[in-house]
Amino acid sequence: MKVAIVRVRGSFKDSILKGLSYLFPSYKAWLKKYFRGKFASLKVNTLSGKLLSTTPQLSLSLAQIILEAFGDEVAVWDRQEEEMKRAGYDIKRRGSLKVIATDSPRVGYGRLRVNGDIGSLFSKIQEYADSSVSLAVLKDHDLAGVTLSMKNYYGAVHNPNKYHDNGCDPFIPELFSCEPVVTKHRMSIIDATKVQFHRGPSYHVRWYAKPGLLIMGEDPVAVDHLGWKMIEKLRAKAGLPPLKNENREPKWIFTAEKMGLGSTKYEVEEI
Amino acid sequence: MKRRDFIKILGGTLVFPVIEVPKLKGQSPNHVSSLSSHEARYYKKLPDRRIQCLLCPRKCIVGDKERGYCGVRENRGGKYISLVYGKACSIAIDPIEKKPFFHFLPGKNAFSMATAGCNVNCKFCQNWQISQVRPEEARSLNLPPSKIASLAYRYMAPIIAYTYTEPIIFVEYMLDTAEQASKLGIRNVIVTGAHVNPEPWKDILNAMDGVKIDLKAFTEDFYRKIVRGHLKPVLNAIVAAAKSGKWLEIVYLVIPTLNDNMDDIKRMSRWLVREVGKDVPLHFSRFFPMYMLKNLPATPVKTLERAREIAMSEGMKFVYVGNVPGHPGESTYCPKCGKTVIKRVGYKIKEIHIKNGKCEYCGEPIPGVWS
Repeated sequence: MKVAIVRVRGSFKDSILKGLSYLFPSYKAWLKKYFRGKFASLKVNTLSGKLLSTTPQLSLSLAQIILEAFGDEVAVWDRQEEEMKRAGYDIKRRGSLKVIATDSPRVGYGRLRVNGDIGSLFSKIQEYADSSVSLAVLKDHDLAGVTLSMKNYYGAVHNPNKYHDNGCDPFIPELFSCEPVVTKHRMSIIDATKVQFHRGPSYHVRWYAKPGLLIMGEDPVAVDHLGWKMIEKLRAKAGLPPLKNENREPKWIFTAEKMGLGSTKYEVEEI
Repeated sequence: MKRRDFIKILGGTLVFPVIEVPKLKGQSPNHVSSLSSHEARYYKKLPDRRIQCLLCPRKCIVGDKERGYCGVRENRGGKYISLVYGKACSIAIDPIEKKPFFHFLPGKNAFSMATAGCNVNCKFCQNWQISQVRPEEARSLNLPPSKIASLAYRYMAPIIAYTYTEPIIFVEYMLDTAEQASKLGIRNVIVTGAHVNPEPWKDILNAMDGVKIDLKAFTEDFYRKIVRGHLKPVLNAIVAAAKSGKWLEIVYLVIPTLNDNMDDIKRMSRWLVREVGKDVPLHFSRFFPMYMLKNLPATPVKTLERAREIAMSEGMKFVYVGNVPGHPGESTYCPKCGKTVIKRVGYKIKEIHIKNGKCEYCGEPIPGVWS
């Protein structure tokens, strides 16, 4: 499995296309297979305001690429419109490119889904999407260790507060393996143009950096594993202990691997 | 509905409810409330704008802009906020037998209220549509404590019951409401899982006249896997409630294959006899498939009867069968003469033969709050 680290130079669209070109021999065929004539869900993370949310230009550039590949509809979305606005998104409820939230009018949640320890309602956007991309932010997390592309789907359910015990293990992989996510997830992209490498997920300037990167891959476990390692490097550079020493090692990544959701063995290319 | 219909609707005119939660009587769009920003009690500040909640045994450490496990208490820049203070998502007038309280003002009405949220996540929750959601996902009314008390008074309910979800998580709202209600001569009762820390529990007990505790099982394993909590704090809370002198009743929901082991029920009955006494009413309630346990059958009535027999053989004097309307185990029998002193069918009282707290037939004192 391949993972791309793309240095963002120039436009986000060019950066995404560079990443896609590395990941797929023919990215156009990949786009056609999963997005042509389909409803795409681009799940962003806008919990922590402008400084620590998925960059709007990134998600809108991906939406543009999908629509240019004859995608039918694209929804760039998160839980609440207010959070999205605070993160710099302009809400757009009509048209083939929508910027909406689960709390937008006429959206809401679907039926109860039960899977292991998970019992949740999923956003109807995720429920009705054909294909889904997780656009997360590179962040340390006080409970999960790190919050990356798999945990980003916590924002797709009505009760994420119930899934933070035991370092979110096995909740992150169990939630990911629910039907509305696992059957639709096509790609993980971590917005590492900025990073909170300690005391996340909220913003703390002291432990904030701007690496200017994107991490992209089909395999969510591989992408999240690489994101974690990147955070560990930044922590070490700042003289902070490894997450393991703070009893926050993200065990859920290995649980996800055991559950067959992906692999921690992958090729990395820096582009 | 298909995907195409959903997309059409997004740009159309149909309206979906955000979550199907019970509509409140008289609710209009104007009544739907925003979140509260009332400062919470029972927390301490930590460095870097974090806080630690001290309300329940989870002791959640909550970062800025995050919420605790209950989903209704949020850290805003190092200040912990109750999002549900004055925001009732469910109000109704119920017979007190529905809670169930069988030895507390039988036949009287309880003005019952709840906010969204819960500090555990029982896989068998009967009210998960309001207990397992965050407050912005539930329809709520702006009902400050004084309004709740005055509504109860207006509807001639002599009791306010904090119930349906987990009242512990709206402790600030509950304590202030109880204070207002007491001024009007209204009693207060709590229906709780009692997964709570000693300090807030002491304050709650001081404010209550009656306490009904759901003892969900007698094994730590069940609490850990099915409830997402711990047994020990609940047992401590039961003992503290019994010592407080407030009226106490215990409910045990019997779930097939998960907590219906008769040895565990025997151990629990012995523990209750030893720690809280033989007079505390114990209810064995019937489970119906709900929430995450729809795969299990309803509890066989025979299982409930067997549990009742065991508890009585261990010395418990008032053991009931719940959620089986018309079962003889719903009624109260005098432990001395054996005659029926309160005959119940469902939530209805058919006969009462208790006078001045004593059996009308033989004069045996029947413990409870009767007037």
